[in-house]
Amino acid sequence: MTEFTELAIRHVTKSYVVDETPLPVLQDVSLSVLPGEFVSIVGASGCGKSTLLRLIVGLDDVYRGEILLGGTQVSGPGADRGIVFQDHRLFPWLTLTENITLALDAFPLPAEEKAQRVRDAIALVGLSGFERARPAQLSGGMAQRAAIARALVRRPAILLLDEPLGALDSLNRTRLQDALLDIWEAQRTTVIMVTHDVEEAVYLSTRIVVMEPRPGRIRSVIPVELAARDRAAPDFVALKQRVLADLRH
Amino acid sequence: MSGATLSEALRAARGGAVPWSRGLVLPFALALVWVWSIHVGWLSSPLAIQPERILLAPFDDAAGREIWRAIAASVLRYAVGTGIGILLGLALGAAMGLSSTVERASGGSFHALRQITLFAWIPLLTAWFGNGEASKIVYIALSAFFPVALNTATGLRNVPTSYREVSRVLSLSRRQEIRRVLLPAALPAITIGIEIALISAWIGTVGAEYAIGNGRGIGTFVSEGREQFRMDIVIIGVIALAATGYLATRVCRRLSSLALMRASGLT
Amino acid sequence: MNVRSVAVDRVVDRFPAVRRIWTARAVGHRLLPLAIPLIVLIAWQCAASLRLLPVQILPPPLLVATTAIDLIRGGEIVDGLRVSLWRIGIGFAIGAGSGLVLGALLGLSRTVEAYCGLTFRLLAQIPSLGWLPILLLIFGLDETLKFVLIAKASFVPTVIATSESVKQIPAPFREVARVLQLPARSYLRRLVLPATIPGIFSGLRTALSHAWIALIVVEMLAATEGVGYTMVWGRTLFQIDIVIVGMVVIGLIGLAMDTGLARIEQRLQHWEARP
Repeated sequence: MTEFTELAIRHVTKSYVVDETPLPVLQDVSLSVLPGEFVSIVGASGCGKSTLLRLIVGLDDVYRGEILLGGTQVSGPGADRGIVFQDHRLFPWLTLTENITLALDAFPLPAEEKAQRVRDAIALVGLSGFERARPAQLSGGMAQRAAIARALVRRPAILLLDEPLGALDSLNRTRLQDALLDIWEAQRTTVIMVTHDVEEAVYLSTRIVVMEPRPGRIRSVIPVELAARDRAAPDFVALKQRVLADLRH
Repeated sequence: MSGATLSEALRAARGGAVPWSRGLVLPFALALVWVWSIHVGWLSSPLAIQPERILLAPFDDAAGREIWRAIAASVLRYAVGTGIGILLGLALGAAMGLSSTVERASGGSFHALRQITLFAWIPLLTAWFGNGEASKIVYIALSAFFPVALNTATGLRNVPTSYREVSRVLSLSRRQEIRRVLLPAALPAITIGIEIALISAWIGTVGAEYAIGNGRGIGTFVSEGREQFRMDIVIIGVIALAATGYLATRVCRRLSSLALMRASGLT
Repeated sequence: MNVRSVAVDRVVDRFPAVRRIWTARAVGHRLLPLAIPLIVLIAWQCAASLRLLPVQILPPPLLVATTAIDLIRGGEIVDGLRVSLWRIGIGFAIGAGSGLVLGALLGLSRTVEAYCGLTFRLLAQIPSLGWLPILLLIFGLDETLKFVLIAKASFVPTVIATSESVKQIPAPFREVARVLQLPARSYLRRLVLPATIPGIFSGLRTALSHAWIALIVVEMLAATEGVGYTMVWGRTLFQIDIVIVGMVVIGLIGLAMDTGLARIEQRLQHWEARP
C-alpha cells in the first residue's frame, strides 16, 4: 500500500456511439495523481467525470489513450482500485458483514484474517454494532459508510468515489465528509472523488480538477492550500469562489 | 473461471447485435426433421401428416374449408361475450372501488367465486342455459368479467391519498373527482385488467366451443377434427386459433384503450 | 423485535376502549360481507322448497351439503383428489424443472435466446387448450396426456419468469460483482440466485395455477377419474349438487395451493419485507 503508485491518465479520449453517430464524452484528458493525494473532480453534468472513474476502475475498457497505475496499464477491475458509487449498491439479501466479506472473496487469505480485516473496516467507518444488519435496516448515511468499508477492506492503493455523498441530506453529508477525512488521514490512501458540491471539494481535497462538458475535458486544476479546514475562513470562501468562477466560465 | 471473466463473457455475449433470422433456424430444422422422418417412414401413423397438407387443408378440403366460417363465428361470439363481460366488470369494479359499502358487501363473495377455475363453471352453465349459444356467451363474459372487475376495483382503491387530498383542496364535486382524478389515476390498472380479460376471454371462447360443441366456431372445428382423427384439421385449427386470438386481442386492446382514453378525458 | 412492529402495536392499542364498543353500526359493518351469500342462500332454499325450479337446474342447498358429506364419506372426493394431485405433482415437476433450465439458458446466453427465443414465443402463443386436441390425437386418453399437458402449462410461465429474472438482475449489482472480481461460484451464489429467486418463485406460483387450470380442463374433457371428471359425471347424471360440490372443492384446493405458495414467497423476500 505504501509503494509508489502514481496514477497517470494520458490523453484519454472516449466516445459513446448513439444512433450510429459517435458522441464524444472525454477528449484528451491527462492527469497525474500522486500517492496520498485527495483529488476532487467537479464539473457540470455530462462532462464525463463519472465516465473517467469507470475507466480508471476498469468497468469500461474501450477508449483511446493510457491509464497507468504504478507504470502498468490498467485493464479490468483489480484489487489496487476500489470504488464507491452514489447508490450504496450493497446486496440487500446479505448482512453488513457478509456484504463486506464478499469484497475479499477473490483474495487468497485465511478465514481469520478476512474476518479481522472486515471487523477493522467496519470499525473504521464507525459501524461496529451493526454487523448483522441488512442494508434495508441501515440509514442512507450508514449504508454509504458500509459501501466505503466494502471498498476499503480490499486495501486499494486508490479509492474512487463517485458522488458518494450525493444522495444524503446535508447533516449526514457533513458528518460523512469528516468521516472521509478521518479515513483518508488514517489510511493515507489516494482518493479521487467526483462531486457536484464545490464546497465539499474545497473542504476535502488537496487538488480540484474542474471539467467542462461536451466533450468532457479538463478546464483547470486548482491546488488547495488552506491554513485550516474552516468553511467560514476568508481563504476557504475565496477558493470556493474561484472554483465556482471556473465552473461558470 | 473467475467472476470477472464470466460476467465479461456474459456481457460480450449480450453486447453484440445478433441477427433475428437465427430465430428461424430452429423452426425450419424441426419442420425438416418432421418431413424427413415421415419420408423415411419413422413416423408412419395416419396422424403423421405432411406439413403442406396442413397448409392446404383450409383451401382444398371440404371439412377444412369450414375453418373460415368457424373463425368468423368465433370472433363474433368473442366480441359479444367480451363486450358484455367488460362492461359488467367495469360496473362492479367501479362500484367496489368507489364505495366501501359495496366493497364490503360484495368483495368476499366476489373473491370466493374468483377462486373457482373458470372452466369448472361450464357444467353448471350448460345446466342453466342449455347447450347452445347462451351458455357460451355467459362463459365468455365471465372470463372477461373477473379480471376487469378485480383490476378496476384495486386500481380505484389504490389511487394515492395525495391525489384525493388535491381534489378535496380544490373542493371538486364527487362527480368531478371521479372523472378528473380517480378515473385517470386508475386508468393504467383498468387497462391491464382489460388486456388480461381480452386474452382470457379468447381462451374462454375456444374453451366453451370445444367443451359445449354445438354450433359453429373454431373450438368446435378443432374438436370435430379430433373426433375424425384428422391431424391436419386439428393443427391448422390450433394455428388459426392462436393467430386469431393474437389479432383479435390486439385489435380489441386498441379499441378499448381508445374508448378508455375518451371516457377519462385524456384524448 | 424490530422497532417498526413495536410502533405499530402501540398505534393499534391506543384506543382499546373504543375498539370494544359494539354499536349497531359496527355490527352491521361486520356482518355486511355475509349479507349477499345469506340472501342468495335463503332465496335459493326458498326457490327450491317452493319448487320454482327443478332439482336438475337448482338443487336445494341442503341437498348440496348432504351430497358433499356423502361424497367425502364415500371416498369419491378423496380418491378423485388423490388422482388429480398425483397428476399435477408429476406434470408440474416435469414442466417447472425443464422450464427452469431453459429459462436460465435464455436469460444467461444471448446465443440460446437468438436460436430458441422465437420458437419458444411462437409455441407459447398456443394456449394449453389448443395443445389438448393435438396431444389427444397423439397420446389418446392415456395418463401421459395429462402429464404432458400439465407440464406444458407449467413450463411456459416458468421459462418466462426465470429468463426475465436473470435478465433483470440490476446492472449496478453486476458492476459491483465485476469490481469485486467475484469468482464464478460466488457470482452465482451471492448475486444470481438471491436476485432471481423471488421472481422465479412468483413465476412458479403462476405456473402452478396454470397447471391447476390445465388439470381441470383435461379432466373435464379427457379423463375417467379425478376431480374434474367427477363434476362432468355429475352433469351427465343431471346431478347439479355434485357439480356444485366439485366447484367448491376446485376453488378450495386452488386457493390453498396459491396461499401456501404466497406464504413461502413472502418468506423468500425477507430481506425486503422485514426491515
